[in-house]
This record gives sequence, C-alpha cells and structure tokens, in this order.
Amino acid sequence: MDNIIEVKGLMKTYGDIRAVDDVSFSVRRGEIFGFLGPNGAGKSTAIKILTTLIGKDSGSAAIDGLDLETQAEEVRRIIGYASQEVGVDNDLTARENLYIQCRYYHISKEKSKQKVEELLRTVNLVDAGDRKLSTFSGGMRKRLDLATALVSDPRILFLDEPTTGLDPKNRRELWDYIRGLNRQGTTIFLTTQYMEEADQLADRLCIIDQGKIVAEGVPESLKAKMGGDTITLSFREGDPTPLTQAKEALAPVPGIKEIRECELDDVCQNGLVLTIENGSSIMPQVVRVLDARGVEVERLTLSTPTLDDVFLSLTGKTLKVHEEANGEQKGMRRRRIR
Amino acid sequence: MRMEWGSEIGVVFYRWIIKLRRQPIYLFFSLIQPLVWFLLFTQAFSAIGNIPGFEQITGTSDYITFFTAAVIIQTIASSALQSGIGMVNDLDSGYLDKMKVAPIHKSSILLGKVLSDGVSIVIQVGIIIALALIVGVNIATGVAGVALILLLAMAFGIAWSGISLFVGLQTKSTETTLSVGLLTTFPLLFLSTAVMPKELLPMWVQNVATLNPISYIANAFQGLIIRGFEWGAIANAIIVIALIGVVSLGASIALFRRAVNR
Repeated sequence: MDNIIEVKGLMKTYGDIRAVDDVSFSVRRGEIFGFLGPNGAGKSTAIKILTTLIGKDSGSAAIDGLDLETQAEEVRRIIGYASQEVGVDNDLTARENLYIQCRYYHISKEKSKQKVEELLRTVNLVDAGDRKLSTFSGGMRKRLDLATALVSDPRILFLDEPTTGLDPKNRRELWDYIRGLNRQGTTIFLTTQYMEEADQLADRLCIIDQGKIVAEGVPESLKAKMGGDTITLSFREGDPTPLTQAKEALAPVPGIKEIRECELDDVCQNGLVLTIENGSSIMPQVVRVLDARGVEVERLTLSTPTLDDVFLSLTGKTLKVHEEANGEQKGMRRRRIR
Repeated sequence: MRMEWGSEIGVVFYRWIIKLRRQPIYLFFSLIQPLVWFLLFTQAFSAIGNIPGFEQITGTSDYITFFTAAVIIQTIASSALQSGIGMVNDLDSGYLDKMKVAPIHKSSILLGKVLSDGVSIVIQVGIIIALALIVGVNIATGVAGVALILLLAMAFGIAWSGISLFVGLQTKSTETTLSVGLLTTFPLLFLSTAVMPKELLPMWVQNVATLNPISYIANAFQGLIIRGFEWGAIANAIIVIALIGVVSLGASIALFRRAVNR
C-alpha cells in the first residue's frame, strides 16, 4: 500500500490538555482523507503539526517519506495548506494574492504570471481577478484561499475546515472544487466538524474526539456498523391502542430486527422504533401492514444511520449541536413521510 | 541560496509596499503628532533659543532649527513602533501561517516587512524636512546632508521597527504593541539630547541621556542640520543603529523561529 502520510503515536500537549493524544493513522496516495470531530477535538493541532507549523511532543510523522522534523524544508515544498482563518490579504487583489504566493514558492516571475491565470480559471475567479478582496463574498475568498494553497502543485493538500462559515450553496460548490482537485491526482487531507462533509467527500476518515481517534474507516462501513436503518412511528398522543395494534401487526414482518417503544429522550413521544436491515424495501411493507389493520399513524420517519450516530455511539455526544449552531440544516439523509 | 533569500525578502517587501500604496492614509496617521509638535511646541518654546549659552553650545539661537532633529526622531519612532501591528494582523488573519508553510526563510518574512517600514519612514521624514524648509529652517549640509539624514532615518527606522516586531510577536496583541510604542517614545525623547542640548539638562538627565541611544541619533541629526558633517557623531549614530538593529531583529527572528515549536 502506497501511503503518503504515515503517523505513529503522535502527541501534543498544552499544559494539562492533551490536544493530540497518541494518534496513529495513515493516508493513502490519491485519496481524500478526513478528520471529523467537534470544535476543540484536536483537528487543527494535528493539521498544524502535519504542515510543519507547530512541533510535536513525541511520536513520528512523515509526509511522502520525509520526516516532519528533520526535513521540514522539503515537506513544505510538496504540501499546500488552506487554514481555517482563510489566509488571504484583503488589501490586495486576487491576482496579487496569487502572484505573491507563487513567488513565495520561488516560481519565476514569468511562470508565476501564467500560474496565476491558470489558478484563477481553476477556481472560477478570472473575472474577479483584479478586484480587491474586500469586495469578495465568503465563498469567493475561500476559493481564492484554496487556489493559493495550489501554487506549488502540491502532492498533498491540507484543508482545515474548508467550509466552516459558508452557506450550503457555497459549501456544495467548494466540495466540487475539492473533488475536482482530487480527481486530478492531489491527495487531500481535510478536517471538518460537519458529518455531512466528511460523508460526502472522504474516502476514508478518522473520527476524533478530545485528541483521540475513536473510529477509523470508510464512511459507509462505519455507518453500517451502527446496525442498519430505523423507522420511527408516532401515534396520536394519549391513545395507547394504535401502538399495541401496530406492535402486533409488525411482529411477523420479516426484515424487522427489533421493535421497541419510544423512550423519553427519543424524538417521538407515543411511538415505536423499528430497527431494520434495508429501509427502502421494508418501508412499503410496513405501510401496507399498518393500513390493512386500520392503524392510525400520525407520522412515519425513515432514518439511515449518519456519522453523527457513529459519533454518538462512541462518545455519548452529538456533532449536530455544532452544525445547528453554525446554521447547518439537519441530517440530509433523513427522509420524512407523512 | 543567497539569491533565493534576497528574492524572498523582495517579495515580502513588494507585498507590504502594495499595501502601503493602497492605504496611504497610514503614512499620515503617524505624522499627526510630530506635526502638532513641530508647529505648536516650537512656537510656545521659541524662547529656549535665547537661554544664555544655547547658541554657543548648539550653533543656533533658533529653537525650531534645533528641534527639527527631535521631530524627525519622533516621526521615525512613532512610525517604526507600529511595525508589529501589521505582523499581529497577519497572525490573526492566518496569512502568517500561509507564509510559514511556504518554503521561505523565517528571517525573510521579518526583513521584508521592516524594509517596507524603512520606505514609509523615508517618505514621512521627507515630508517633515520639506515642512522644516517651508517654516524657514536652514539645513547647513544642503542636499547631501538631507540625503544622509534620510539614509540614517531609514536605517534607524528599520532597527527600531525590530522592537515593535518583537513586542507584536511576543504579545500577539495590537493594543499592547501600539501602547508600548506610545509609552516609550516620549520618555526616551525627553531623556535624551534631542529636545535640549546636553549641557543644559539637569545632571541626572545628562547621565540617562548618555545611555539613551536616541541621544546619539539626535547628535548626528543636529550636527547635519545646524553645523555641518560631523563624522564622529555620524559614526556613533551608525554604531548605535547597528547595535539596536542586530539585537532587535535578531531577537525577533529567534522568537519567530522558536514559535514554530510551540
């Protein structure tokens, strides 16, 4: 296996806080690798160590076979980095920002000028190239930031929370750019607090909490481990009859692995939670059975497990609090049938 | 390697010059106070020139002429001591991280910055000198003297900027950086030979003034403005500037490099 990042036993402490606590993982060449975790989980610290911005306390880390500590100079030549803060200069135009960035990488003046145009095309900012950044939207600024991270044709691109603070439309747009870069062969390491982003972009990911990796793998298989889809049924409040009827009717249906009544902390009040293997094929059957018995269902919801469920089961906390606080919509994979 | 280093400093310098061109108003902010001094202080205190012995010691009985050196120094100091603010802004915006990830020397990032400060200081001092000529100050050494003053001002400005860089990188706060600049300029100026010839200062201030680097810069400027090329004083000023520069910029670069491991 061709690994471009190899990290073993990485540690970084600030006083009593273990920002990165014995973290080991590897990133394969050509993939999009994600670090998913809430604010303060240690994602930024990890990415700052990998980009040579801060030193580690112990452990080993190598980028494309180059040691982070002894060969930091060489590492810097093969990586690109877009920070969470969007490190572009608002007093300059987009072209000037890119040109100066090229020159930091010792690209000749002539080549830099070509490179600037090429990059402006990549992130679709050619027309806005001579405008000062103070007139740019958040999405445009983020795209320019992405472009500045590309001046050196990096083998690996580090993106620290690339879409934090963007609205859903701009977020999706940026995802397309990231995917496009990856298709052209750039390995991408990104951190995110959005499970949807990790789900959409990452080929493989680590879920990180309080400096530790709590899970690692392909998003699909992490979710599959959560034990399949669930259907939630809600009935009219204060009437216990439909619940009993539904329980009886659904018991013999094949494919339903578990039926339990809603508890206080569930979304539904007077209802049932069915754990099933494959939601979309069982759903019609459930509706038919209930309809045949004349059971009155107030609401019926199909949910497939999200990375948040994975996170919840591993840490007892939810990621969604952050997403909502950041104006994100709720889990996209939740379909609702009334 | 050496060429790379030079071009790195050049690029960093280029960026700051563009920023300066976009926001020329900053050039005038740090000129306001020296201008007020120049135009009001010298009027109110013009009688100082008539103190017995003043003319024998300084070579002029015109206090404005004597005071021009002090205003130039104040201009340099107040401008240089804002240098760190740009650095703190880069730190906050994440721009500095971007530079640190690029394969350039840490020293280039700082030296490019202070060189650009040197340029804005030359412009500011040029404005002050023009104003001095307008209000009737006669510069004894002529055009060559003015060129030398500008050169010394630039060198002193670069060296003095290093102090602000250090404070900015250490405190990471624009407020602290700004107030350190404001709070140190005045005492240093008044405890030097910039506002009053040494012989007329109280004894304890004379002792402090001897240790105060500002005095040596002031002596060189005063000589060039009032009397002529006093190479001894100019050499002293150059030594003092070099010492300040090596210490302030050396410490800033060391601090900047060390910050990588935190």
